Amino acid sequence: MTEEYAIQLSGITKAFGSVVANKNIDLNVRQGEILALLGENGSGKTTLMNMLSGIYQPDSGTIRVNGKEVSIHSPEDAKRLGIGMVHQHFKLVDVFSAADNVWMGREKAGFRLKRNRYAEMEAIAKKFGFDIDPRKKVCNMAVSEKQTLEIIKVLSYGAKIIILDEPTAVLTVQEIQKLFTVLRKMKDEGHSIIIITHKLGEVMEISDRVAILRKGEYITTVNTAETDEQALTEWMVGRKVDLNIDRPAMEKTKPLLELRDVCIRSDEGTTAIDGVSFYIRGGEILGVAGIAGCGQKELCEAIAGLRPIEKGQMIHKGDNIVGLPPRVILEKGISMSFIPEDRLGMGLAPSLSITDNMLLKNYADAKGPFVDRKQGRADAQQVIRELEVVTPSTETPVRRLSGGNVQKVLLGREIKAGPNVLVTAYPVRGLDIHSSYAIYDILNRQKKDGVGILFVGEDLDVMMALCDKILVLCHGKVMGVVHAHKTTKEELGLMMTGSLDLTNKYEDKPAGIAKDSLFGDGQQKVEG
Amino acid sequence: MGMHIVKRENLPLWQKVCLYVGAVAAALLLGAVLLLAIGVDPIAYYNRMFTLGTVGNPIAYKVYANYLADLVPLVLTSLALSLAFKMKFWNIGGEGQFIMGALATAVVAIKLGGVLPTAVVLILMCLAAMVAAGIYGLIVAALKVKFGTNETLLTLMLNYVALYLLTYLMETKVPWNFLLDPTAVRPVPQSFDKMVKFPSIPLVGKFSLNVCVIFVVLIGLLIHVYLRRTKQGYEISVVGDSAGTARYAGMKVGPIVLRTVFLSACLIGLAAAFKVGSTGILSTTITEDVGWTGIIVAWLAQLNTWAIFLVSALVCVLHYGSTVAAATFAQVDSSFANMLQGVILFLVLAADFFTRFRVVMVKKGGSDHGNG
Amino acid sequence: MEMDKLSVVTSFLHNIVVYNIPLLYGTAGEILVEKSGSLNLGVEGIMAVGAIFGYICGCYANSLLVGIAVAFLAGALCGLLFSVLTVTLQANQNITGLTLTTFGLGVYFFVGNGLKASGWPVMGNFSNIMAGFSNVAIPGLSKIPLLGHGLFNHNVLVYLGIAIAVAMWWYLNKTTPGLRLRAVGENPAAADSVGINVTWTKYLHICIGCGIMGIGGYYMGLNMSGSFNSNCWINGYGWIAVALVIFANWNPAMAILGTFVFGFFNTLRVSGSSLAAAFPSVLGFLGDIPTQLYQALPFIITAIVLVVTSIRSRKSSGLPAALGINYFREER
Repeated sequence: MTEEYAIQLSGITKAFGSVVANKNIDLNVRQGEILALLGENGSGKTTLMNMLSGIYQPDSGTIRVNGKEVSIHSPEDAKRLGIGMVHQHFKLVDVFSAADNVWMGREKAGFRLKRNRYAEMEAIAKKFGFDIDPRKKVCNMAVSEKQTLEIIKVLSYGAKIIILDEPTAVLTVQEIQKLFTVLRKMKDEGHSIIIITHKLGEVMEISDRVAILRKGEYITTVNTAETDEQALTEWMVGRKVDLNIDRPAMEKTKPLLELRDVCIRSDEGTTAIDGVSFYIRGGEILGVAGIAGCGQKELCEAIAGLRPIEKGQMIHKGDNIVGLPPRVILEKGISMSFIPEDRLGMGLAPSLSITDNMLLKNYADAKGPFVDRKQGRADAQQVIRELEVVTPSTETPVRRLSGGNVQKVLLGREIKAGPNVLVTAYPVRGLDIHSSYAIYDILNRQKKDGVGILFVGEDLDVMMALCDKILVLCHGKVMGVVHAHKTTKEELGLMMTGSLDLTNKYEDKPAGIAKDSLFGDGQQKVEG
Repeated sequence: MGMHIVKRENLPLWQKVCLYVGAVAAALLLGAVLLLAIGVDPIAYYNRMFTLGTVGNPIAYKVYANYLADLVPLVLTSLALSLAFKMKFWNIGGEGQFIMGALATAVVAIKLGGVLPTAVVLILMCLAAMVAAGIYGLIVAALKVKFGTNETLLTLMLNYVALYLLTYLMETKVPWNFLLDPTAVRPVPQSFDKMVKFPSIPLVGKFSLNVCVIFVVLIGLLIHVYLRRTKQGYEISVVGDSAGTARYAGMKVGPIVLRTVFLSACLIGLAAAFKVGSTGILSTTITEDVGWTGIIVAWLAQLNTWAIFLVSALVCVLHYGSTVAAATFAQVDSSFANMLQGVILFLVLAADFFTRFRVVMVKKGGSDHGNG
Repeated sequence: MEMDKLSVVTSFLHNIVVYNIPLLYGTAGEILVEKSGSLNLGVEGIMAVGAIFGYICGCYANSLLVGIAVAFLAGALCGLLFSVLTVTLQANQNITGLTLTTFGLGVYFFVGNGLKASGWPVMGNFSNIMAGFSNVAIPGLSKIPLLGHGLFNHNVLVYLGIAIAVAMWWYLNKTTPGLRLRAVGENPAAADSVGINVTWTKYLHICIGCGIMGIGGYYMGLNMSGSFNSNCWINGYGWIAVALVIFANWNPAMAILGTFVFGFFNTLRVSGSSLAAAFPSVLGFLGDIPTQLYQALPFIITAIVLVVTSIRSRKSSGLPAALGINYFREER
């Protein structure tokens, strides 16, 4: 007799247009285990899980739940089968209370809204070991509260199989530990749990088994106890991580961009960047490491002039550039490219052609009232040729390109503009290894040309190999700047989680301020 | 086996055209069934309608002139709206802006007609109309930019505010109201077609071409160049595609929205000036619903400048033709055109779905080995 | 003399109710539709379709109930058309709504004019309709001096309209399906993820909402005693209803109040002069106010409400967050 699995996927394939997100995937989940679904960004983890939760439907393949073949056409079907998913972007109604968010999906809730639903909700939450204010509206909740609510929601519908999509990305260390306690308790109660992540430490800590996806394909499943991070990484990236990234040594120039005591607010009005000081010299790559959402986006936007700087100063070649409009900052040669999670959100106009996207930042330079498309086309051709962009033509809308090519177009344009400071966030997000190396190469070429580069990244191995120095952020505060070739992953990890603060390591000079700062001249210029 | 719906990447143009033509044909077929049901020969009816009753008509030249007179404001309004729509600014206030333009035109025409040279008055009429309509649109754009006010609902409301202002001026007989004919006892609008009017150029036979037609074609050309070639046109496409990207590229999104909406409303005002300057009289029904129809035309033409000309021409045939046909076929009300237009649009909307999505069958299968 | 003045006030109140409750039908219907996240600009056309079919069938059956039922069905059918296009076929809601208005008015005149040529049913000839539409006094309340006749002596459609609005308020705020409906209008993806059938919820409420609008149209036809001419019975009330939804902040109970406010101006337009004549010293100025101002006021007020609420940001607004946006589950 074969073992009865909670979930059995076989031959699952899903394509979006010409992009195949999942290719013939087989995956089994045992009863009462925690299975980590490991893979790089863009390896198809979320797509696969969305097929279990009824958001997408597979193009082909079968799904078995508790041994029975099922077809999941909608989240309703998934719910009925006892599958619940906590999405990375929470699916909550902002204007509803916590209780109503749960109540709206409850079966047999009765026609009339029960007055005691708040008390009932609180009791349910207690039963699962959570403490939540049932009357609190979602729009007034902190991120971790929202996540808790999502988990309560899923549990209260009686889900036996629970999928969590990158649940730790938005949590603090303490919150992660609390979440893991909850997950273990759920497991003990007989739930099967799938946790999507790309953080190896967490995989080792929480999971019973690990299933690995790479570029939309299923690689293998191993028992966590019988493996180690090195092995997992190999499976995840496809070969031994001998990150052979060049780090050319360069003659460093004076600081190009200096930030001093900068404070920036987030969209929600909270302090996203809190008193940050650092500087970038020409010919160096400064990495910025940190847990997702600890101020990287706000920092990038502020440097580009897209977000006001509440306090502090930002000096470019000795000139104060705080409060200047984005266009002026662009003209000074500061270029920012940010690859958001959906990859198309910022920096590109997805419906416009590659040519038109090339023109985005310099269209205004053409003489007269007309756009110089000839120049744009020439630029597009050059970028396509030099960065090996795969596209039918220069007139293809950017949205029709695959992820790696979109990023090449974006980065290609930034470099074309000949910046002296290049801010780039997640430039290899979701790219395969080959494309990633192409991007590292581009950055290194820029570095050799004397450009100062701020590299906001996710992968510590890459940053340690590529960057000269790494600045670590934790909840908007600088935890220190370390030399990339001297530091260790452990040290960085500790700093990222806030357990190690190296800012006061050198007491002779304040952290993040250059010895040969151009700051003084700048101030005089500003005042003068 | 199951089926579900997925987004389509791109459909070849000819397939798109086939789908739309099919939708229109199906709608006409439905109309034909209805005509048969009430005992009218659909072929004869459609024949009359699509030829605008010009066949064997000794005053066909008048029909063409009238048809073009209807077409001019519709094309221009649709073109104008397409500018705002391209930026995803849902200006459904074409009616209100048209009315404001029409009022301004009439004021200038009555006050200055005969005082200044005709050409000067005509130019002033156009300018006044553009400014009046432009400001009426600009108010909404400013509120949208500053406070995020919902422009769809606000422009909708302002349509009626303008309409009742016009009605008030057209129905209130008081000494200061120079928009009404002072010699009439009842409120009758003051006609000024004797004093100022857009001239017509005699062409073939008795047919003469209103200069407005030429202007509209020229404006169409300019808008095409504006959208495709100029920096401002480029800014419109970027803002419409992604406001975040526009901001990132250093564009000032607020001013771009204001500028574009103002321009859009100005052109609607110009459409009103052409209309009023050609009829030589104001009335409460001066818009003939071009503000509404224009929205539909702009959308049907998918904001393509030349497609707007084509679609407007067809919609106008439908409207004008059904009035003509109603004179011959007494049992078919002229409202048949509205119904037919509705059915055509419903089917085109349905056809549009198939250009953006496709229905796929879900296969089962795949290997049965797994992990564990 | 005193009595006369009182009766002017009373009939003024009475008119507010009689001539403006159709607005409440349109508004309540549109609230239900918009709460599902659909902006339907076809109210005018849907009311017209409901009116013409309701009136004709009601007369032929000589039954007010049949009229109401047919009006509801005709409206609901328009709703079904709107749902198929916008929910299933993902068509643009603004365009579909506007087309529905054109189409609805086309149907109204096509059917009406067609029937007029062959013999128009005159309402006065149908005793059951006349009886059904006559006033029913509420015992006790209708005896209140001044207000009694004005507010509590009306035809059944008035009571039905108020009942629908109150019931809808209760449904939206106090029931589970109402909660689910609001969830769909606020965040369809969230509603979908907990197993609420978004498509079904939208279809159902759009159809019911449009059906309610249809009844409102029928009522307007009856108010005009079924006399068919070149002016449509609905006469722009559909558009005022769209405005009133905003004024009422998407709350059906507020819509009752809003109906009275808008109805007040509307009634001043029609019978402001009689008030002016009855109270020349106090209300004499009413005779001088142009009627068009009263007609424009609902739109002016709503425009102001729109602007003010947008300035105060949308915390307290009842505007459904997903209004006007089609939901496609596999959107990436």
